[in-house]
Amino acid sequence: MRTRLFALLIMVSILLSGCAQPTTQVPAEPVKETVVVTVEVPGEVQVTTVVEEVLVTPTPGPNPEAVIEGVEQNAEITFWTFWLSPTFNDYIKSTIARFQEAYPGVTVNWEDHQATFQDDLRNAFAAGNAPDVINLSISEGWVSDYATQGLLLPLDDVVPQSAIDMYFPNLWDQQLVDGTHYQFPWYQGIQVNLVNRQIYDQTGLTIEDFPKTVDGLPALCKTIKEVTGTLCDIRLTVNDLLAQMTYEGGVQVINADGTAFTFDSPEAVAWLQLYVNMVKDGTVDKTVLVTDQDRVGLDLFTTGQAAFYNTGPNLIREVRANNPGLYGYLAVVPAPVGKSGVVGKGLMAISVKADTAFPNASIALSQFFTNPRSMLEFSKIVAIYPSTPASYDDPFFSAAPVAIEDSAKPYAKDAVSKLADIVPTVPHKADVNEIVLQAIQQALFNNVDPQQALSDAVASANALLP
Amino acid sequence: MTKKLSLTPYLFLIPALLVIAVFVLYPIVAVVYYSFTDYSISTPPEWVGLKNYQQLMKDPIFWQALSHSLIYLIVTPTLIFLSILLAIVVNRKLPGIHAFRALFFIPAISGSIAVGIAWRLMLDTNGIINGTLLSLGILKEPIQWLAEPAYTLPIAMMLTTWLGVGYYMMVFLAGLQNIPEELYDAALIDGCNVWQKHRHVSIPGLRPQITFVAVISSLAALQVFNEIFTLTGGLGGILNSGVTIVFYLWRQAFRLNHAGFASAIAMVLLVITLAFSIMNIRILERGTEAD
Repeated sequence: MRTRLFALLIMVSILLSGCAQPTTQVPAEPVKETVVVTVEVPGEVQVTTVVEEVLVTPTPGPNPEAVIEGVEQNAEITFWTFWLSPTFNDYIKSTIARFQEAYPGVTVNWEDHQATFQDDLRNAFAAGNAPDVINLSISEGWVSDYATQGLLLPLDDVVPQSAIDMYFPNLWDQQLVDGTHYQFPWYQGIQVNLVNRQIYDQTGLTIEDFPKTVDGLPALCKTIKEVTGTLCDIRLTVNDLLAQMTYEGGVQVINADGTAFTFDSPEAVAWLQLYVNMVKDGTVDKTVLVTDQDRVGLDLFTTGQAAFYNTGPNLIREVRANNPGLYGYLAVVPAPVGKSGVVGKGLMAISVKADTAFPNASIALSQFFTNPRSMLEFSKIVAIYPSTPASYDDPFFSAAPVAIEDSAKPYAKDAVSKLADIVPTVPHKADVNEIVLQAIQQALFNNVDPQQALSDAVASANALLP
Repeated sequence: MTKKLSLTPYLFLIPALLVIAVFVLYPIVAVVYYSFTDYSISTPPEWVGLKNYQQLMKDPIFWQALSHSLIYLIVTPTLIFLSILLAIVVNRKLPGIHAFRALFFIPAISGSIAVGIAWRLMLDTNGIINGTLLSLGILKEPIQWLAEPAYTLPIAMMLTTWLGVGYYMMVFLAGLQNIPEELYDAALIDGCNVWQKHRHVSIPGLRPQITFVAVISSLAALQVFNEIFTLTGGLGGILNSGVTIVFYLWRQAFRLNHAGFASAIAMVLLVITLAFSIMNIRILERGTEAD
């Protein structure tokens, strides 16, 4: 053939534009690359063709956020969050993108689960396809629930001390099971009472008069009922009544060696009697009092039917979105403290499943989402509080609050540093809680003496112990 | 002459049999097995023999739930009565009657969860029902309807009736339109008044539909869950006042993580519903033979 090809050379030139090394502060952005194919045909004109333009991520340099070593190559991990989508889609996606720059080659599949989170998670564990990284609630006791079943990865031997030191010690040490850590502390809440001044101010009380302790609530509710005719929007922590007894009543729920329950003590009876009296006085909404869904109580407040409600500042956004008319009449006061003197326990954590195929990548993702920078960025878009002291050094936290959502910002670091899980590990927790719930209902609604109700419950609960 | 066995019909049956085997037979067998185990869904089951059944017999809340489910069966005669009444009312050739039929049918096509939430809002302390009763002077103080144990079950039953009456009305309407007009003419000639006409012609003519509705609605009543869940915010009512057997099953399986114990409850429910179905089918067969 006259037009025989003497040689065929394919050359792919990669022309990097703006190919700067990633810095510690500025994450590497994907850059546009031009793929060029040059074909040389002897005796003929050389032809150069731009085939396509593609986006690639430059080779990463040292990244201060990449603190976990030995991350598995080409790991593909699944991450489940609890009720964060769609509101925080942008934040979650951008944090995952930043994570993938710090740990190139790791793929993260994110899913958000909401009302059915617990059911979905149990089913996923049963089916053997549970997520590698899981957002669990500290306040609901999920970490200890799953850890005691051997479903979570112990962290003590695999997380470097430098990473542990990033967290408030009181938060890192929450929900230990036999002294072992199973969670990275994530975003925290500060319990406050949202006050509807349209109702509250009718009582003639000032915001400063709002009770500082739980003991002061019955008198306040009585005044509100007499003056305004509305009922108090107070919710028992139905899913964890032992915790509520501990914090509010200063009750020791089980003896030191864990061999007998003790939640029929005078302190426990006094705690229950406080609520029994409010029900007898008709000053609380009974439906809200025993619902296990926070949204029921929040809805009552949001619709302008209650004088106050105990929740986190992060849920003020619900009031603003659903009842803007009420938003202008909101005040925020610290939640009353119980006899324990401890304000409460942490809010959210991230854990890793025990049998993950990619433990280091999963730990890396958990640590990354809870590192000071990720926490700070999250705090800037919603009123949650970091579990990392370093985040509070940012001017964002020292700036004077503007919106009502930011009211807790000036004292947030101090408040978060005092959160503590003071509830001991309770065997058969869900069953004992159910026994306590039945007993409390008997006292509240069936005229059973509180002492009798709690003593019967202790007897039933002790029968569950070995 | 020998019959040649053809495989073709059996090949056509295989897909349906596979679906039934995977989605009906396997779950039933699995639940039977789990009912003899201690199983928390997220961890493997452990064989415990009859322990779950022994525990069930001694569990006062199970018996309370069972009694509530049996009380709930009151919705069946209520539904039959109201549906026949409505069917007779809309079985007329009046202008705009189709619109009325459609209106009565709307609850049947509404989601029970959405309807439950709507009713919960109406029954709220500051809801429209209290508001109306207060403005009419019938009440002096609002009632917390869903916080009163005595009201929980009746309210849920009322909701089930409201949801179902339109659907069953259509069943009876179809039945009424199949009754020959001559029978009504004969009844008139015999001197029947309106009440007697329906008593002696419509009701006997609707016997197959009545049996069908009795079977379907009683099984649905035994398995009620959505109404209880939405009305009580997942609690089952104060002092377990709204806990039915399926709600208790759900609570044990998905709140308390006792899937083995919940499977034992499911087995008891299976026996009860099976007994109901057999009883109803027998009654149906007897009625057909009599006709």
